[in-house]
Amino acid sequence: MTPEDALLVERVVSAHRERGADGAVKSHPNWHDLDAEGRQAAFDETVRQRAVERGLDLDGQSSTIKAVLARLR
Amino acid sequence: MQAERDQLARISAGDAAAFGQWASSVESSLRQTLRPFATLCDTEAVLQEALLRVWQVAPRFVHDGRPNALLRFAVTTTRNVALSELRKTNPTPTEVEALHRALDAQGEVQPLAPDPKLRAAISKCREKLPPQPGQALAKRLEGTGDDHALAAALRMSLNTFLQNVTRARKFLAECLKKAGVDLDLELSP
Repeated sequence: MTPEDALLVERVVSAHRERGADGAVKSHPNWHDLDAEGRQAAFDETVRQRAVERGLDLDGQSSTIKAVLARLR
Repeated sequence: MQAERDQLARISAGDAAAFGQWASSVESSLRQTLRPFATLCDTEAVLQEALLRVWQVAPRFVHDGRPNALLRFAVTTTRNVALSELRKTNPTPTEVEALHRALDAQGEVQPLAPDPKLRAAISKCREKLPPQPGQALAKRLEGTGDDHALAAALRMSLNTFLQNVTRARKFLAECLKKAGVDLDLELSP
């Protein structure tokens, strides 16, 4: 994987997602820039990252859960 | 079972904290059900959308008397959102067939209990993180910000911020390995 691809993977691992006009959560724009290897790497890194986040957070919440809860308010 | 029903009652009544607690307990299991979709759609967006739909339906959700009722509903919702995303990409019949085979092979999904040992090991390793990767990781943990905004808050360029997040993750994985914790093994379905 090139350093540029690694940065794209890192961006996709983020839990930040925009919402579309219909209110639905949109795909990360950089996800579409990744090839199959990069997409698989993004998935695997996200699994590890969220586990670490749950372990680091006092309430055991990952950034995914925080992003979802922020949408409820 | 009573604890599950009590939790569901709180969620149905609009208790966001109870929903957060439940969602944290099932996040990992739901994400693993999306593994066959990993190269086909953005599973992070799918998972967030599915959780939001579960929250919206929760006030009308009726427990069927079997354990993990809301989780089973969430699994179905998650797969439906993923399949809906997939349809937008005009998948080949071979891709769809392979996907359905992978989904059929998945067993019943269970919530994962938090692992206090893993949590303690992660906390210890975090204390050893170098300052910049530590700051970048802490910002990412806040969850809601776009990377440009997070990087700007730390006065880092976007690329430096992303490189620091990657360094933090690699550092933690190495530290955990030295402590005898293999994250991949811990997280295997």
